[in-house]
Amino acid sequence: MKKLMNILFLSCLKASALIEKKLHVRLTFQERLQLKMHKMMCEACTRYEQQSILLENGLASQHKRIHDLGDLDQLKAIIAKKLGEQSTK
Amino acid sequence: MEFSSTVSLTQWIEIYSKDLFSWALYKVSDRELAADLVQDTFLAAAEKLEGYKGDSSPKTWLFSILNHKIIDIYRKKVNQTVSLEDQNFSGYFDADGNWLKDKRPSAWHEDEGQLLDNNDFQEVFDRCLEALPEKWNICVKLKYLSEKNGDEICQELDIAPTNFWQIVHRAKLQLRDCIEKNWFQK
Repeated sequence: MKKLMNILFLSCLKASALIEKKLHVRLTFQERLQLKMHKMMCEACTRYEQQSILLENGLASQHKRIHDLGDLDQLKAIIAKKLGEQSTK
Repeated sequence: MEFSSTVSLTQWIEIYSKDLFSWALYKVSDRELAADLVQDTFLAAAEKLEGYKGDSSPKTWLFSILNHKIIDIYRKKVNQTVSLEDQNFSGYFDADGNWLKDKRPSAWHEDEGQLLDNNDFQEVFDRCLEALPEKWNICVKLKYLSEKNGDEICQELDIAPTNFWQIVHRAKLQLRDCIEKNWFQK
């Protein structure tokens, strides 16, 4: 019985770990079942999942925010100078 | 054919620096680091130039050098040791794995679409992300930087998947908490 309880009922620590894992890979059947059961009873982890997805979307959009390339002439000049130093060594 | 290596490299700096820099910036999200990577790419190219037979275009060749350097950077950051333990969750959960009272997620009453477009929110988000130890920071960003899934990232960087999930989990807990405290509770 105790073993069955352990399989069915996750702690919030384990549930939130599965929520993170789920964002990267497909969970096993047992993991999906465990997580579903847990979320039915736990408001905090249900929120955690929604918020964690929002954070992922934030990470993706942060990454897409356009980077201004700026002035590259200075970089080109530095590289050319370094190459010159290297070849005379 | 007599082929002056210095002349061609100098030309390549002029032609390809922009594309290389733009790619490096996209992959590391850090201007200074991206500039260093482009510079290192050309320095490595100068050393290897004799071996370059022109089988691939100069652009492809330079990009392959750059990409190796980018993966090295990821690997270095991921393998850093962090003074705070990666697997220490006691700041968030009690011994039975229940949320600690002040770390338990509370309701965020805001529309997601608007939130992510809000400049002030982006600023809080970026600050909370920067506040993470470098290793955690790169682990949560890697999915987007490398455009690979979790298993591929672990394989490429030679880290154990369980270790990687644990770091991502730990980092996300801290990021979430920081954003809740600095945005939703202000």
